[in-house]
Amino acid sequence: MSDAAIPHPTDPFAPEAINAVDGLTPVDPAFRHVLRIATLLNALPLAIAAMLADIFLVRAIDGPYGLLTVLGWLLGALAVAILPSRRAQRWGYRVGEGQLRVAHGWLFRTDTIVPFVRVQHIDVGQGPVERWFGLAHLVVHTSGTHNSTVTLPGLPADLAAAMRETIRRHIHTDFA
Amino acid sequence: MTDAAAPPTAEAEPHWLRLHPATLALSIAKLGPRSLNFLPAIAALGVTGNWAYIVPAFLLFLLFSLLAAWLHWLRFRFAVGADEVVIESGVLARQHRTIPFDRIQDVSIEQGLIARVLGIAKVEFETGAGGGKDHDASLDAVGLDAAEALRGVIRAHRSELATALAPADAPGAEDRLLFAMGPRRLLIAGLFNFSLAALAVFGAAMQFFDNLLPFDFNIFNPVDWIDVAEAYGLDAWLVAHRWVAGLGAAISLLFIGFAGGVATMFFTNWGFRLTREPRALRRTRGLTTRTDVAMPVRRVQAAILVTGWLRERFGWHELRLQSLASDGGKERDHQVVPFGTLREIDPVLATVAIDRPPGETRWERSHHIVALGGLLGAVIAAVGGAVAIARGEPLGSLAIAAAVLLALAALVGARFRLWADLGDRVAIRRGWWKPKLTLLPHASVQSIDLRTDFVLRPLGLATLVFGVPGGSALGSHAIPAIPVGIAQALRTRILAAGGAA
Repeated sequence: MSDAAIPHPTDPFAPEAINAVDGLTPVDPAFRHVLRIATLLNALPLAIAAMLADIFLVRAIDGPYGLLTVLGWLLGALAVAILPSRRAQRWGYRVGEGQLRVAHGWLFRTDTIVPFVRVQHIDVGQGPVERWFGLAHLVVHTSGTHNSTVTLPGLPADLAAAMRETIRRHIHTDFA
Repeated sequence: MTDAAAPPTAEAEPHWLRLHPATLALSIAKLGPRSLNFLPAIAALGVTGNWAYIVPAFLLFLLFSLLAAWLHWLRFRFAVGADEVVIESGVLARQHRTIPFDRIQDVSIEQGLIARVLGIAKVEFETGAGGGKDHDASLDAVGLDAAEALRGVIRAHRSELATALAPADAPGAEDRLLFAMGPRRLLIAGLFNFSLAALAVFGAAMQFFDNLLPFDFNIFNPVDWIDVAEAYGLDAWLVAHRWVAGLGAAISLLFIGFAGGVATMFFTNWGFRLTREPRALRRTRGLTTRTDVAMPVRRVQAAILVTGWLRERFGWHELRLQSLASDGGKERDHQVVPFGTLREIDPVLATVAIDRPPGETRWERSHHIVALGGLLGAVIAAVGGAVAIARGEPLGSLAIAAAVLLALAALVGARFRLWADLGDRVAIRRGWWKPKLTLLPHASVQSIDLRTDFVLRPLGLATLVFGVPGGSALGSHAIPAIPVGIAQALRTRILAAGGAA
């Protein structure tokens, strides 16, 4: 993978700096839209539930009427507006010498390395929202109980397919 | 395949076999717990006042259950081919599953109490497929001899294959007894196995059945002991010496704890035998439910040595092997030496080529920050206790005492988090009250997470989490809170070793 070695901006305050420091490639920027829509679909029912609880429950017990609704919609709006782009920037990957490296998260950052020889099988998946933005996710299965699947989302569909081929060539069928 | 009951192999049209008819008997036994499903219906009938319908309804339920079991039996068939097992099941939706012998890691045979009476056994094929038991196949009940023959066929196939690939094992090294437990050892083990759980269960039962018991006696209650003494005219003496009553209660408490420990040890480990077969370790044990499990040596992923603070003083340890194959579904690693000395454990470890760390090993220590979780819990407990006391609840002092204990345990425990890289394997030690030593060969590591978070990052620390086949998803192997640079170097070293293998 030649595109794994793209030079990165080294501004330590840039949100993608954490990837640059680790020598990782960020995922496609369009992934933030995928995350945003997914968050929206999760947050909307929660906000509505909070509102309904407010109307039917808090008012009935003479609680602070309105608080729950405002809080629910406010937090939901924040989660949809601000967090997805930040979360998307924390995802990074690198296809190195015989191994795949996937990192994500900041508060709790997990940086996983899977050697290609340890890969049992590979999936490339595309959800409806991902298809909309031309993205796909790569799922690598290992036989480990922990990390039995390692998912790398936010890849352009053609790159995901190319990565699958790269990894597939490395999988040794060392099982008798 | 000399056994007459061996399933015939290699035929053009598969020779279909059914499960043992005793499956039906087993399904009747299983009906017991399942009839709980029927309780809501009984309740509904009772509430509506239709008491007369309960017995017919229950009979109908029984009839339907038996019919369903019979249909399942009728529609379940399996065949053993030249190099695969085929299982067809399902009454309406048919399922056809083919398991090549190559993919069967192991065949385990389990016999419950009823099964032993009927001479049948449950055969499970472990394929090492992830995602829990649903992906593994099992034959609920076949004759014991047929089960053993089936296992023989698959074993023979595997070892044939293995010898063709690498004729490593000396043919003479067959069925060597590695470890066995006699009644004496079981008794000692049971005494160390002091069971708080048995105490709790017994105590709860006493509370629960207090009013139902024909005699009114709670052995945990010193007052009841005084009552007993009264009956023998000892009461005057006893009231003067109340501590005797307390002692009586305490002794019976201890007795139940010890008896529970000894009983569970006898039930699970009766006739424990660990033998070395050409390519596998084989373990048979159990008093009522007898299990017979074989672990292919090459499938062993990690060794775990567990002991306790007290039993370590007496030189007793427990050895578990983490393997792809599971242990009758209950535990995810195999207890191969439930209770033995290090001198007995070392030969077992040698057979799986995972030696204990040598005495001069230089252990590295995790950062003390690993105590943070426990300390946080202690703080929460202390605050809760303080609030409770402030609200006039004297029991809050208990929570504060617990908080102090929790904090102490966390701080002491943090000092016992050690690790060492031994070249071809990593050793991870933890625990002070229940010391646990994990030996993880580099070659078993499938993936490694390097985790940091907002607490570890400013301290320049990281946690390594290893993806290892087998074992439980909750208790993954990890080295917590070590310097990032060391963690990265260790990760590179381990994965390089795995890639070369």
